[in-house]
Amino acid sequence: MTRDNAQSGKDALIQVKNLKKYYKGDKIKALDDVSININRGDVMVVIGPSGSGKSTFLRSLNLLEVPTSGSIIFDGTDITNEKIDIDKFRLRMGMVFQHFNLFPHKTVLENLTIAPILVKKMDRSEAEKMAMEKLDRVGLADRAGTYPVQLSGGQKQRVAIVRALCMNPEVMLFDEPTSALDPEMVGEVLDVMKELAHEGMTMVVVTHEMGFAREVGSRVVFMADGKMLEENTPEQIFTHPQHPRLQDFLRKVL
Amino acid sequence: MSLSLKHLGTVWKYRNMLGQGLLVTVLLSLFTVLLGFVLAFLLAMMLISKKKALNVIADIYVQFVRCTPMLVQIFLVYYIIFGFIQLPKFTFLGFIQFERFFPAVVAMSLNSGGYMSDVIRGGIEGVDQGQKEAARCLGMSSSQTLHHIVLPQAIKNILPAFANEFVTIIKESSVCYTIGVQDIMFNVKSIQSGTFIIAEPLLMATFLYFCLCFPTSKLIKYVERRMRASDQR
Repeated sequence: MTRDNAQSGKDALIQVKNLKKYYKGDKIKALDDVSININRGDVMVVIGPSGSGKSTFLRSLNLLEVPTSGSIIFDGTDITNEKIDIDKFRLRMGMVFQHFNLFPHKTVLENLTIAPILVKKMDRSEAEKMAMEKLDRVGLADRAGTYPVQLSGGQKQRVAIVRALCMNPEVMLFDEPTSALDPEMVGEVLDVMKELAHEGMTMVVVTHEMGFAREVGSRVVFMADGKMLEENTPEQIFTHPQHPRLQDFLRKVL
Repeated sequence: MSLSLKHLGTVWKYRNMLGQGLLVTVLLSLFTVLLGFVLAFLLAMMLISKKKALNVIADIYVQFVRCTPMLVQIFLVYYIIFGFIQLPKFTFLGFIQFERFFPAVVAMSLNSGGYMSDVIRGGIEGVDQGQKEAARCLGMSSSQTLHHIVLPQAIKNILPAFANEFVTIIKESSVCYTIGVQDIMFNVKSIQSGTFIIAEPLLMATFLYFCLCFPTSKLIKYVERRMRASDQR
């Protein structure tokens, strides 16, 4: 294990150092030397045009994408080290996907309890009690016994968020959580995320929802061509964008 | 050659032999499909394994099975493998010779397992990648993910092909008469050589095979439709 807290930011939950992800030799640079610290309590919103590397960056944080080089230090441990057991670290990071990825052959309640029971060896009744409490908070307690196909998109995504929360993660990673939703369902999912942010959850959110970035984000990062071109408070990013690419991007999306 | 009712009457006297043949064909197919599935599953695990050597071994095996005739494979197993391994000689259910029946089951399972492994691999790989990612993100290990998330969903992709394979096995088992397994075709040959009637026993065999396979494949279609209906809910 590499202890690396001495350097910048003692509060950093995740330190990303010189992260590179190349495809086809080095022809395609999905991530081109990205370094950033994610501190506890941050709500970091990552914006940028499609193909800019936002999702690759997010998916690298829990090693769904294995970086070509660079390191990711999670709570003092370099998780890119092949000798560590990545499962132990993944369960400390919750992930929410664009397409929900609920388990279709399991009920809502089973979706929520399977990992606590299998991974955390939690008692079934205890896991179910905990899951029901969390499900109730997003207003879906009455859907516990149903299967994912019977839910609307917004309900599915709320269940997916609760599923991640049931592992009591230290950080939540959101990969375009509202991009696959019908417009009228975006709000209910953003509300749940907003509440999480207010409770102090550390969050990294890749999104096209500029309103959310502005209102909820504590830091906004702009990515293009696999690089982080600008990082600042939402206020600064949206009112005084510096980089011409960011200015151009905001002109198009706002 | 001519067909006649008189011949059919003569052949009818041998209906017991055809009945025994039918039983052998059914047992042969059932044992084959079960043993073949176990082999197919093991091969599929090798095919999707991250270990290159296992991929290669399984792939060579599958290619061998696909690119050599079934009849040759049966002879290889019966005359070469079980030429070295002495099987106990006994009969079960009164007339089934174990030392011929068993090699036939082994040979057909080896064949069926090879074909089915690719179907199982396809079924597993056909499960949405996001399912695996979601499970791994929750901290589940790769074997927990396979067991609890991927396989239950893959079964739906696999089951129809698996049932179709059963129909194929019933038909292909007809070559096993060449090593003396007393299945339907073996008894057809016996009746032919005993009575010098050629056509009618063959027609009866055709009828028997059809009666075995047709309801089976209808049943499969029905189950498939039911499964698709439960998907939509």
